[in-house]
Amino acid sequence: MNLEREYQSLLTRRQFFGRTTTGIGSLALASLLNGKLFAGAGDPASKTGGVLPELHFAPKAKRVIYLFMSGGPSHIDLFDYKPNLRAHHKQELPASIRMGQRITGMTSGQSSFPCVAPMFEFTQHGKSGTWISELLPHTAKIVDDIAIVKSLNTEAINHDPATTFIQTGHQQPGRPSLGAWLSYGIGTESQQLPAFIVMISQGSGNKTDQPIFSRLWGSGFLPSQHQGVRFRSGGDPVLYLSNPPGVDAKARRSMLDSVAQLNRMAEKSFGDPEINTRIAQYEMAYQMQTSAPELTDLSKEPKQVLDMYGIDDKGTDGGFARNCLLARRMVERGVRFVQLMHRGWDQHSSLPKQIRGQCKDIDQPAAALVKDLKARGLLDDTLVIWGGEFGRTVYSQGALTADNYGRDHHGRCFTMWMAGGGIKPGISYGETDDFCYNVVKDPVHIHDFNATILRTMGIDHTRLTFKFQGRHFRLTDVHGEVVKGLLV
Amino acid sequence: MRKCLQLCCVLYFFAPHALHRAIGAEPVAPLVDFNRDIRPIFSETCFKCHGPDANKRKGKFRLDTREGAFAEHEGRKPLVPGDLAHSEAWRRINTKDADDLMPPADSGMKLTAQQIKLFGDWIKQGARYKDHWSLIPPVTPPLPKVKKSSWPKNGIDPFILARLEQEKLPTSPQADKATLLRRVTLDLTGLPPTPDEVAAFLADKSPSAYEKAVDRLLQSPHYGERMALDWLDAARYADTHGYHIDSGRDMTRWRKWVIDSFNQNKRFDQFTIEQLAGDLLPQATTEQKIASGFNRNHMINFEGGAIPEEYHNAYLVDRVNTTATVWLGLTVACAQCHDHKYDPITQKDYYQLYAFFHNVPEKGLDGNLGNAAPVLHFPTADEAAAQARLKSEIAAAETKLKQVEAELPGAQSIWEKERSATTADESHLTLVRIPAEKRTAEQVDELKKYFRDKHYPALGAAKEALQSTRRDLEKLEKGIATAMVMSEMEKPRNTFLLVRGQYDKPGDPVTANVPASLPPLPAGSPTNRLGLAQWLVSPAHPLTSRVIVNRYWQMYFGIGLVKSAEDFGSQGEWPSHPELLDWLATEFQRTGWDIKQMQKLIVMSATYQQSSATTPELLAKDPENRLLAHGPRFRLAAEFIRDQALAISGLLNREIGGKSVSPYQPAGLWEELASREDGKNWSAQSYTQSHGPDLYRRTMYTFWKRTSPPPTLATFDAPDRESCTVRRARTDTPLQALVLLNDPTYIEASRKLGERLMTEAKSDADRIAMAFRLAIARDPKALEKKVLLKLYDRQLAAYHADPASALKLLAVGESPRNEHLEPAKLAAWTMVASTVLNLDETITKQ
Repeated sequence: MNLEREYQSLLTRRQFFGRTTTGIGSLALASLLNGKLFAGAGDPASKTGGVLPELHFAPKAKRVIYLFMSGGPSHIDLFDYKPNLRAHHKQELPASIRMGQRITGMTSGQSSFPCVAPMFEFTQHGKSGTWISELLPHTAKIVDDIAIVKSLNTEAINHDPATTFIQTGHQQPGRPSLGAWLSYGIGTESQQLPAFIVMISQGSGNKTDQPIFSRLWGSGFLPSQHQGVRFRSGGDPVLYLSNPPGVDAKARRSMLDSVAQLNRMAEKSFGDPEINTRIAQYEMAYQMQTSAPELTDLSKEPKQVLDMYGIDDKGTDGGFARNCLLARRMVERGVRFVQLMHRGWDQHSSLPKQIRGQCKDIDQPAAALVKDLKARGLLDDTLVIWGGEFGRTVYSQGALTADNYGRDHHGRCFTMWMAGGGIKPGISYGETDDFCYNVVKDPVHIHDFNATILRTMGIDHTRLTFKFQGRHFRLTDVHGEVVKGLLV
Repeated sequence: MRKCLQLCCVLYFFAPHALHRAIGAEPVAPLVDFNRDIRPIFSETCFKCHGPDANKRKGKFRLDTREGAFAEHEGRKPLVPGDLAHSEAWRRINTKDADDLMPPADSGMKLTAQQIKLFGDWIKQGARYKDHWSLIPPVTPPLPKVKKSSWPKNGIDPFILARLEQEKLPTSPQADKATLLRRVTLDLTGLPPTPDEVAAFLADKSPSAYEKAVDRLLQSPHYGERMALDWLDAARYADTHGYHIDSGRDMTRWRKWVIDSFNQNKRFDQFTIEQLAGDLLPQATTEQKIASGFNRNHMINFEGGAIPEEYHNAYLVDRVNTTATVWLGLTVACAQCHDHKYDPITQKDYYQLYAFFHNVPEKGLDGNLGNAAPVLHFPTADEAAAQARLKSEIAAAETKLKQVEAELPGAQSIWEKERSATTADESHLTLVRIPAEKRTAEQVDELKKYFRDKHYPALGAAKEALQSTRRDLEKLEKGIATAMVMSEMEKPRNTFLLVRGQYDKPGDPVTANVPASLPPLPAGSPTNRLGLAQWLVSPAHPLTSRVIVNRYWQMYFGIGLVKSAEDFGSQGEWPSHPELLDWLATEFQRTGWDIKQMQKLIVMSATYQQSSATTPELLAKDPENRLLAHGPRFRLAAEFIRDQALAISGLLNREIGGKSVSPYQPAGLWEELASREDGKNWSAQSYTQSHGPDLYRRTMYTFWKRTSPPPTLATFDAPDRESCTVRRARTDTPLQALVLLNDPTYIEASRKLGERLMTEAKSDADRIAMAFRLAIARDPKALEKKVLLKLYDRQLAAYHADPASALKLLAVGESPRNEHLEPAKLAAWTMVASTVLNLDETITKQ
């Protein structure tokens, strides 16, 4: 009978989408979607998968892993070695250095500003002879693979505006984050995973840590599919990924088949192409239910890899090491932008104790990530970035004792490092004065830094724009110069 | 001929060449309209250097005014009407000389051949400038003549139809009744119609059946909720402060005021005045003061170490930008740092607007304990009683203290007479022995202090009693609910233009005023927020009524007549139907800013009532349905998707207003972002899920934490509420499917819907029909029924084979399971119900 025949034809058409993540099904799906469901805005004719019809330059990097150190790590105690600072230890910071610059409300009432030399030893490493603090023994081993930028600077002096600034190019909320811009601009290489993934870990050095905000991976005024998708440890890696209790894969598949059949019938009635998108949306969700757990399942990683990253069951690093390994697995699978947020770098007091913990969390995994990417040939076209929203003051916040001190926020200079993806390895870029207070050579404003990141991806930062409220907005606002000295 | 040209002008927007051919053999170029055709080109490619911003103007030449464009400049005239050969601008855009070429190569901009032709035609036709269209007050246009005169149902339709007829496109038939009822019910209440409402509507064969339904919906208390939702986006409503710690605030009274105002059909002009200046109205009521909280909904900061002036400035900037976006549809934010590059808004204009909002007695850093001053207090009856009691106890304790203090000299002299040598130390005994009249002032003080501290315990007790009562009062008052409101300081602050927008770089002083390019404040209006509000809704104002009706249009059709609902300036989009926009804007004013009447007008139109089915041809020609050859069809907003699932399943709690609630949310989302050890110092740092009826309130009452917005809503394009949003994105991602498939909210709703199907319908086929009627207000087709019956059979067999899984599925959600129903069957129906809740048709208004 007619109805039965129609029903059978629906079943046949179901094969079009298939039941697995491989084979004709996913190919057909991919061609139907053109990668649009995750990244979205692209013109079908675009060569990039995003809104840019083509890249402005030959890209050096195809993907980014950004290890964001939330709170503001002390450049003075980790990277920016100033042997002469010892001579100024406990001495008042000269007015000629401070130059009346504004400081935060937390230290503006202090009657004195005594300089503090780091209480950690610095030694030289690698062919480049780079000075690194004893707190970062693993990072010390990769100095010939990274470029250390010592002249970063920002106008912001508090956490909310400073983190918002470095991640979105503006101190006030409302702008898209770096990862969202990339998702919008060039889309994703993955059919099964989001273009932009975020993972958060809690620092073990400081539990009185600074809050972070979803706007740091938000899409601002860009369409919301460009916002970063949080991957979480424990439970569902992606929110609502798992079927509810009592619904197995078979039940889910048969339910989804029914949804698709009914949606195809609706498409016939209404002719609305949105319905085809809806059908594809559900198929991709189904595929993600397989691909995301496969991604986050580390059980098949060899022990030496787990050991290299320092992943243990205790989670003493707040999850950072695991996230670093996941980041490698994500870029292997074509994720465009992986943002790690490691918290707890706000050392206003008890700096020596806190920073030891923070460094222990991140040193081995971050170095392992660079080594691992290099060994797999991925470092050439993956850009790795390490750093926070600002640095810290050379003067002590609160009492300075033989074994204790704190440091306030400092935006006039701070240190970040970059590796891979067209960045010159084994260099230090930019210099600060003897007090790690002001930049004296090759300043890199965070707009310049962001312009440089986009440049490695083959994007002219002045030409990735979005018209909103009548204005063509961009990540770097009306600023930013690519730092050529950092590029290969 | 003239008529022909005018017609052509109307037609020109979509397909100039095709239309030109359609007009006939006339070789004359179509009449170019400056605002429609030329200004967008100028704005996009020229104004940045030759526009309103005097500081960035290059070559001292401006193209945005006729004076600038026609004046002789370096011996040449940029534009000579009718004369291409002598128009320097024409030469510059066509030259091969790279030094002279405009726009310059390094600008990255290039004119298309089509744009150059338009420009040339415009010069040839006289280079007629016009003020920007949206700055010219709307005048009611005549209704266009149409061929299919039987089609229009009200004033909207001739405008739509005339355009379709010119484009040779047919209208669509009226949507079938049930679809139409579902559409209008979702549009006016954000909830689906009940099967009874559908049945009654289908049974009502009278010609006024639809109008009766519309009137019923406009009277529904849920109408106010639906209308409020868009307003909450615009007003950047949230339950936390947003910056840094992002602790809690309570603006729920303001939210309720908005809902009530829509339900009472408060006139839009009054709605405006109360929200911008309710506190300044004569004998302002409490409700009017609450309304003024509109401009306290912005983010507030108290980050340690932040500089108060920096954030106070941010609040003011937000108020100016929000007010301008919501009412003016202008992007004044550009003028915070410099004169606007595209629109006639100077930096001075910006700070004159800023001055209106500058006199609020508020602090730059505030909000750590909840609402930030100024606030209104709303004690409960018990709190009020306790407050009165404590206040009178404080008064009594103060009296007592005064009395004890007054008695001190007498007590001291008695004590001195007793010469209590045993208890006094040597030095004080010496003092006591000195005759009173011979003591120095220091000795008198010393002895008094000694006596007071050591031998007069009554004083300490009286002080402690007073302080303790005061502490009790303080504690009580901290717990009393408040609403943040606006108020004016007696002595206004001075306002300065801020150089490059920097809070610490004051320039010239300015006083409150409206932008010079718009009409002045109405005669007799005060130069304060009240005057500003009166100005916005004054009859002479060119923008407010257009901007507001455009957003109403957007609510129903998905896209406004002006697509850039937030920008009516020269960078905004030219309206798809300019005359209709003006007709609606003037109609809105003519009817006394009657909001309900405007909604009714739109939904009663034939345009709105069309079927939403489309064809490949139509899609190719008009993919966004801007011409409205068919009715609207688009996915529901985040909130309404959930509301609908709750309503269909019978879980919905229909209470209106009140506190925000916390439905199911995956654990740890807030905590992962919050400060760990300090978190306990503030509210809204860890998520405490609600229970009972609060789990099922309408989604607009979900607690909105700005730094971690409700995840399911964010996935469905709800904005972050950090700043004003008047146009939501509409995207499709796989994450949305995961929410509808797996979020406990939807699993629980599916189970409750399953229970309804099992208990309220008699056969399996009836159950499927009932599910369809509940979700999409129609009966399933035979094939649809067959698909779902097969699914049911398959799921039932599986759950029969695995009863434990059935019980697991049925345990999702806190509402009790109907124990009388067989678990395997209920589990199978839950899956069928979930299928129905996931259908494209279910989450789509069509």
